[in-house]
Amino acid sequence: MEELLIFGWLAWIFPIVGALLTPLLAKIGDKVRDYGAVFFSFMAVVSTVSLSSYLFKEHVEWPLHNSIVWLSVEGSPILSEIRAGILVDPLSIIMSNVVSIIAFLIMVYSLGYMKNEEGLTRYWFFMNLFIGNMLLLVFSDNLIQMLFGWEGVGLCSYGLIGFYYKDSKDGWKKYWVGEGDEAYPPSHAGLKAFIMTRFGDLLLFVGAFIILAFAGTLNFVELQNGAISRVPVWALLPAIIFFFGGPIGKSAQLPLMEWLPDAMAGPTTVSALIHAATMVKAGVYLVARMFPILYATKLASDSSTLVLMFYFIAWIGVLTSFVAGTQAMVSRELKKVLAYSTVSQIGYMMMALGIAGISVEFITGYVGSIFHLMSHALFKAALFLAAGSVIHATGSRFMYDMGGLKKYMPITFWCMAIASCSLAGVPILSGFWSKDMILEASLISGEYLLLFFALSTVIVTSFYTFRMIGLVFYGQSVKEQEHEHHLHEAPAIMWVPYAILVAGTLILGVGGYFVRHWLIESFEYLMVSLHGEYVGDLTAEYLISFLSVMCVIIGFVPAYIFYIRRSKSFDLSSKAFSSKIWTFLAKRWYINKLYYSLFVYPTVSISNWLYENLESRVVDGLNYYIASLAKQASVKIRKVQSGNFNDSLTLFLLGVFVAVIILCFIILG
Amino acid sequence: MIAFSLLQIIVVPIFMAIIIMLFGKMLEKKCGWLSFASLFYILCILLTEILNLSKGGYSLLESYSFTPLIGDFTLLLDGISGVVALTITLLSLVISLYSIKYMEHEENFDLYNVLYLLYYSGMVGTVLSTNLVIFFLFFELMLIPSWILIGIWGTGEREKVALKYFLFTEAGAVIMLAGIGSTYMISGSFDLFVVAERTLFMPKTILYPIVVLILIGLLVKMAIFPLHNWLPDAHAEAPTPISALLSPAMIGIGGYAAIRILYTSFPTVAFDNSFTFVLTLLSVITMAYGGIMAFSQDDIKRLLAFSSISQMGYMLFGIASASIIGLTGSLIIYVSHGLSKAALFMISGVFMHNLKTRKISDLGGLASKMPLTAISTLVSFLGLAGVPPLLGFWGEFFIFAGAVYGSFNPIDYLKLVTVIVGILVSILTAGYGLWTVRRIFYGELNEKYKGAKDPEWEMLVPILIMILLAIVVGVYPAPLTSIVSNIIKNLF
Repeated sequence: MEELLIFGWLAWIFPIVGALLTPLLAKIGDKVRDYGAVFFSFMAVVSTVSLSSYLFKEHVEWPLHNSIVWLSVEGSPILSEIRAGILVDPLSIIMSNVVSIIAFLIMVYSLGYMKNEEGLTRYWFFMNLFIGNMLLLVFSDNLIQMLFGWEGVGLCSYGLIGFYYKDSKDGWKKYWVGEGDEAYPPSHAGLKAFIMTRFGDLLLFVGAFIILAFAGTLNFVELQNGAISRVPVWALLPAIIFFFGGPIGKSAQLPLMEWLPDAMAGPTTVSALIHAATMVKAGVYLVARMFPILYATKLASDSSTLVLMFYFIAWIGVLTSFVAGTQAMVSRELKKVLAYSTVSQIGYMMMALGIAGISVEFITGYVGSIFHLMSHALFKAALFLAAGSVIHATGSRFMYDMGGLKKYMPITFWCMAIASCSLAGVPILSGFWSKDMILEASLISGEYLLLFFALSTVIVTSFYTFRMIGLVFYGQSVKEQEHEHHLHEAPAIMWVPYAILVAGTLILGVGGYFVRHWLIESFEYLMVSLHGEYVGDLTAEYLISFLSVMCVIIGFVPAYIFYIRRSKSFDLSSKAFSSKIWTFLAKRWYINKLYYSLFVYPTVSISNWLYENLESRVVDGLNYYIASLAKQASVKIRKVQSGNFNDSLTLFLLGVFVAVIILCFIILG
Repeated sequence: MIAFSLLQIIVVPIFMAIIIMLFGKMLEKKCGWLSFASLFYILCILLTEILNLSKGGYSLLESYSFTPLIGDFTLLLDGISGVVALTITLLSLVISLYSIKYMEHEENFDLYNVLYLLYYSGMVGTVLSTNLVIFFLFFELMLIPSWILIGIWGTGEREKVALKYFLFTEAGAVIMLAGIGSTYMISGSFDLFVVAERTLFMPKTILYPIVVLILIGLLVKMAIFPLHNWLPDAHAEAPTPISALLSPAMIGIGGYAAIRILYTSFPTVAFDNSFTFVLTLLSVITMAYGGIMAFSQDDIKRLLAFSSISQMGYMLFGIASASIIGLTGSLIIYVSHGLSKAALFMISGVFMHNLKTRKISDLGGLASKMPLTAISTLVSFLGLAGVPPLLGFWGEFFIFAGAVYGSFNPIDYLKLVTVIVGILVSILTAGYGLWTVRRIFYGELNEKYKGAKDPEWEMLVPILIMILLAIVVGVYPAPLTSIVSNIIKNLF
């Protein structure tokens, strides 16, 4: 039973070793380094796939668990022994396979996409380090070890967003992100991503420490087995709200979502791997990991306050998904559309987990979230890689520099079209099934307001998705003449990986119904332990399918008219009223601006002000004032030393007199 | 077992200093290697003794009779003093190597080495001694050489800065001396452990003022707000190798001594709730103040100086948590801050020595020219920010965990809020660190520095050793945590 568990360790050790070897392999030769890096990511695939055989075994006692002592703090009531371990259960197996397989495909794609770039040793190092840390995060059996992976992926993200750290102004069209006063060079975007997610992590720290102070452990298995019940309800609710700060930051949810759109300054491969398919899902993963623990506590507690934490995450998710979706409607940059869309789709996953906690039939929401995570990873990675090919061919990240690419890049077009349909939720692609499951969960839970927002987001999603396809592949390009001769299909090493991903989304889609049931079966053990039930309401399923298809059509029609057929006015923003909305959305609801004027600029100006006034004037000034007092005093006292014999004699006698008095006191008293 | 090992640790550098003083003019540049060799010898002794600690009940005590009035000359090597002494020795060793290259154009290199060794001896003596008077003597011994070092080889207004440094620390030391005297008055002993036995049942009202007096001296050394003002000047204008030693090794001794003296001799006060609250508040203010100040600095060394103030806030934060995990965290912060900050000061020295500038606004885009320096800078700043897998992560994790735990046992909401604010303001550390990295290494290259490259090996190797240690010990901190917590748990 336990014989395969070693792969839970190897899965993340292989890529990390690969990363460490990269600088050495680079000494042998560039080809060795490149293929070596891909090889180590392949070893991760081998490891995770071997683990997945557990999913098909009967009567596995989840979770499988294996740990060693890492360090100890003797005598301490908390954290007296910290163990490193791996946790293998359906959640980690599914997540790790999504990560490793997509990562491997992207590594292969990188061989073509990153060819002839400078600093490739750094690139491969960070990519492999990322894969290793991500799998470490997934397999960790306790939060502390998970934080190693968690912060590690953040660090790799920082390094890779800022990959083109020279911030050259000449490559503005290709390497920067945003435009106008929100245009950021890569190194700025990397810094922003790190600081924002780090702030989320600090919130997570606070939550974790409160749990730790009562429960005495941060091990997921121990928490599940009752340690969490040692945390009183009044402390648990704020602790969990703080705790969610980490996932909110990492998964770019409101109010910490602003870093992800700007993270698009990194190479497209990085956007695909880190900022779409895997790392940003870490937040969802952590919430899903904590879900059974929290749900069990909710069941056990008498008061109804604990359910608030699920409402919290559900509302965060649905609002994010709506806000980010509307921003994608007007974005002029191809990768940014996809980035907003990622934020929006992750919002769905968060919402699903929240809803799962609200309802008795938690399994629909829970599995819906994981299903959507899988299917989103596939189609979004495909979309990004295809977008990479497009940007590679046109040399610009702006969609208005594209257009009419259908005839030049047919394979890319079809791949992107299918993946887009999946994103929009067109039946029978994978996105349709997974999104419907989430919508169904919100219908069953009876939270109609959430459902309303979620359905509106479907309309929005459908609109921006087909707008993107229209802008990139249809119509006549403004610049077509200019780069007609080098507009060509991507090489096979680039299109094969995304074709595979698209095939994956097709397969998951055609078999969507069965995948759904297989997933529910895989997580059946949770239903047993958490006393859940799965009824499966056919009416609800049909109703939701109908509603969601209607929403897709509502979004598709205007996108078709304006951007694919281009029969009406090309640009909606020409009309006065809509132009105001357009600007509002294009300025990202002014959230980004607000953060800069609330936190970024003030930090530096407050610092300068304090340095000039408090530090230099008051504190330093006080010191010199004291020094000058001493000097003045010395000038005055010096007058006593006049050198006159009579003065000295008087003083001497005075001194003797005082001494005698003191002596008297001592002797008598 | 090595005979008189602890005495050797203190006496060998003094002895070597005398030799260099006598023959310095003949030895010229070789005196740098001489101090390197003697420090290396000490490192070997120290490592052997620390590895043997587990056999001797986790502590090694050497006692020599001194004067009857003051008590014995007692040196103690245990988990916590061992870790601190080891850090100091290691830093002094690599920095002495670094000095050889860095000081190549300076005069009186022999005198520099004499003072350097005396300074080392003072620091390590402070850490090892358990008799308050001896402690005070070494406390002064580490002040005087460093004062001269700043005054002679410093930059800018060095004499004024050195005087400021001296007066501040001396004022603190005098106040501490009053505290030490009062301790003797009430307990009749200078020995920490004897004092501990005798103060156990004394009322808090008597002990409070004494503790405050002693603590003021230590807080000046740690540069806790509002007693921090001497530090930015001293660290910025000291010769860079000395900054690299002043900042992480010396000021942290204040924190170590607070643990040693406070928790050993005055536990009733140390665990007092309002007392720890005040310390927590001070530490949070210091963390925030140092961090905020770092944003407005254009001089790398001054930025690092403010960063040190902020880091000492972290250390005090752990001390104030009054929990095993928090104190362990504080000592880990001492080590990790030592490694990272020493590396950063040495890197600032690289800019001063090779590029002849220390202004951040002059630099930019250097990552492609100085890749190893860039990586080291990034890793060191991440170490300060407490990002895994660096050692700083454990330090921060432990002090925060300890502080939250401490404010729930017993429950004190005001303290809890302060602690949460403290955790959240630590974002400043990541902020100024990465922002500095960006300003120095990313963006467009200044034409003036087209020929810049990584430094020579004498300067690079010390930096890389610091980085590697921070990573290795960060991934596997078990030896460090177990040796430290083994002693800390006895304080509770």
